[in-house]
Amino acid sequence: MADGEMTAKERKRKRGTESSSSSSAAAAAAEEEEAKWRTEGEQRTYSSRLIAALRRVRSSAAAPTDRARSRALREAADRALAVSARGRTRWSRAILLSGKARSLKRSRVLRPKPPAAASKSSRPPLEKKTRVLGRLVPGCRKLPLPSLLEEVSDYIAALQMQVRAMSAITEVLSAANAAPSPPPPPPPPQTM
Amino acid sequence: MSGRGRRITDEEINELISKLQSMLPESRRRNAGRVSASKLLKETCSYIKSLHREVDGLSDRLAGLMDTMDSNSPQAEIVRGLLRS
Repeated sequence: MADGEMTAKERKRKRGTESSSSSSAAAAAAEEEEAKWRTEGEQRTYSSRLIAALRRVRSSAAAPTDRARSRALREAADRALAVSARGRTRWSRAILLSGKARSLKRSRVLRPKPPAAASKSSRPPLEKKTRVLGRLVPGCRKLPLPSLLEEVSDYIAALQMQVRAMSAITEVLSAANAAPSPPPPPPPPQTM
Repeated sequence: MSGRGRRITDEEINELISKLQSMLPESRRRNAGRVSASKLLKETCSYIKSLHREVDGLSDRLAGLMDTMDSNSPQAEIVRGLLRS
């Protein structure tokens, strides 16, 4: 499935760059960077980083419950993902800079809507959805639509890689867990 | 591209629609033809949220499996081996 998607996406992306002549150079460069998320090398590098981070989480005393470990793991996974982006994107820089302050940012009260005249970058019907989208991508809350879409594009590609890498690692560990050879230590009781 | 202060044109909207459409996976693209920007933005939001949920789910599972990653266990060797290949 992943290979088919890659081909179709690359085809469509080529069509996309052809249509815009003024920003084609920048767009092409961005898409090249974006395509790196789909390479095996990138995924392998990310997996190594992630596993190292998992070990740190496991040995740290700060996450006693399953829920806390899961959250710590999620943060470690996101951080490792942001490192992989090598500071090229706003979303990755936002993740690296926020750390523990991220949950504080989420609970902060939203500022009142700016007057329509101030946000000239999109039509009113798209404003609300643009805002929702901006909130989903780290550090992109106030970006105008065109810039936001660049970030979104890269962010989605990165998230897809994150899912692929974490799925693969989970599968390996699950299979290893079920292996008949030397009995593994009894797993801790699962709290759901 | 990020310095625009003027109102976005229809043509630019169309470009952004194409780009958005190309970012969503095949399974989410129900219309092969033109879809409204509004709908696409909504689809993109849904997609990102579902990716987030997937990562959360995987984090939960990995948290439960972490004990098998003891350095001395054969499981850890398997993982290391996979990373090397």
